[in-house]
Amino acid sequence: MAIRDDFPILKREVNGFPLIYLDNAATTQKPQIVLDAMNEYYTSSNANVHRAVHTLAGEATEGYETCRQQLKNWFNAERVVMTSGTTEAINLVAHSWGRANLSAGDVIVLTEMEHHSDIVPWQMLAEERKIELRYIPVLEDFTLDMDIYAASLEGAKLVCVVHTSNVLGVRNPLEDIIQMAHANDTLVLVDAAQGVPHERIDFQECGADFMAFSAHKMCGPTGIGALLIDSEVFETMQPFMGGGDMIETVTVDGSTYQTDEHKFEAGTPRIAEAVGWSAALDWMSKLDLKKEHQRLIKIARWVAEQLRTMGMSVYGRHEELDSAVVSFLHPTIHSEDLAHLFDSRGFAVRTGHHCAQPLLNRLGIASTVRASFYLYNTIEEAQLFIEQLKEITERFG
Amino acid sequence: MTYPKDLAELIEEFQEVDDKMERLEMVFDMADEVVPYPPEQWNNDSKVQGCQSEAHVHVEIDDGKVLLFSGADAKLVQGLMGILTIAINGSAPAQALLLSADFAEEMGILNSLSPSRSNGFRNMFDKVMKEIREFV
Repeated sequence: MAIRDDFPILKREVNGFPLIYLDNAATTQKPQIVLDAMNEYYTSSNANVHRAVHTLAGEATEGYETCRQQLKNWFNAERVVMTSGTTEAINLVAHSWGRANLSAGDVIVLTEMEHHSDIVPWQMLAEERKIELRYIPVLEDFTLDMDIYAASLEGAKLVCVVHTSNVLGVRNPLEDIIQMAHANDTLVLVDAAQGVPHERIDFQECGADFMAFSAHKMCGPTGIGALLIDSEVFETMQPFMGGGDMIETVTVDGSTYQTDEHKFEAGTPRIAEAVGWSAALDWMSKLDLKKEHQRLIKIARWVAEQLRTMGMSVYGRHEELDSAVVSFLHPTIHSEDLAHLFDSRGFAVRTGHHCAQPLLNRLGIASTVRASFYLYNTIEEAQLFIEQLKEITERFG
Repeated sequence: MTYPKDLAELIEEFQEVDDKMERLEMVFDMADEVVPYPPEQWNNDSKVQGCQSEAHVHVEIDDGKVLLFSGADAKLVQGLMGILTIAINGSAPAQALLLSADFAEEMGILNSLSPSRSNGFRNMFDKVMKEIREFV
């Protein structure tokens, strides 16, 4: 198993059992190449970026900007702003574009499927600016109500939609959502945190105006992410954070700002993390992601079928483009107890509301157990997971 | 720290068990040790915030002694409540306040007691102690 061999953490034991890591929708593990790149950066090239003329500063700048260029290539995007992650990227849009373009009575369309990161910034802005928020309901088949979506677009300035649900794994019909929004002169922000790990997205082809995602869900480091911005929209946007690196000139009377992506990158950026993310992108570019995704969704579908057979309630549909996330509830064992029991046998699964409380409210539940599969997971691990659940059910159910 | 005798014995019992699943099972069994706080009495004041499960506690002082009522829908949480009940019920409030939350870690039940959104036990323990403090 060549892929697994690249991940040193997968060799460890947890509570005396081999680790089976199934919490990939929360964060993915890092291949050795990422760990080496970050270590090498701090060992040999650590310096601050963009200003100094010395050799180390040049190397650090090159490392940081190489990541941006790689992201531009990977996503076919003209403007890539480096952020601390998806959450900061969305907050950036709310503060910069939102404050400049939205006022009392304006409408933002959200969905009930959103992660809190794509709800709370808009609620804060709505309170400040008296903006109306409209939520698209989730139907019983775990998809968005597209009829209500169509009706909600009237008067809307922005649509915020999650590419792929972190709870359900459902991949939304973004192409239709974006096309319908644009026909209404409405901009679209896509929260692609769960989408980019599984799908190669062409930003310009998909037509979104903003797309936010994090490195750590695609084998990169924590603490770094990106916001892709349509180049025309980008030109209209002003900085939202002030500080070093984002300025052109500063005098006691006022400041002027950079005009490229740096205008949004105040302060010393995440240099080592960018270097690590570059390495992760290099590593991923050697894989056939489409083929890997087909393998993973097949595993998820098999797990979901097994769970249903065992009497579990499964939340999701696991179609071709969905992510390999399986959320479920045991009929008698509480989700929190189940997660602890799994942990006692080396399995890492997630429980709780997954930062998507409106969705769970719609589903009429307070939490789920979530097993999420990624590149290094195997069908054998999925089988062990099901076997473990059978054993737990027999003993505790 | 020095624990009350009953709790110290429990900690020792737990430490003798290597298998974590078995330790969890032992905690589940402690769920019966709570003085029940029936779900129909659960309210916003009794709710333990930041807990993944629905967990409720209510403290009274009866004849100068702590009386903890508690209940949760997750067995692990209610089991921990049972252990806490053994540790503090019947103690003078000032005595109960000497207890630290570390016992759950020492028993090898929880991996970390650091405050976090998923640390229901920590939140439950802090809420109980806060309520006892109000009586001192």
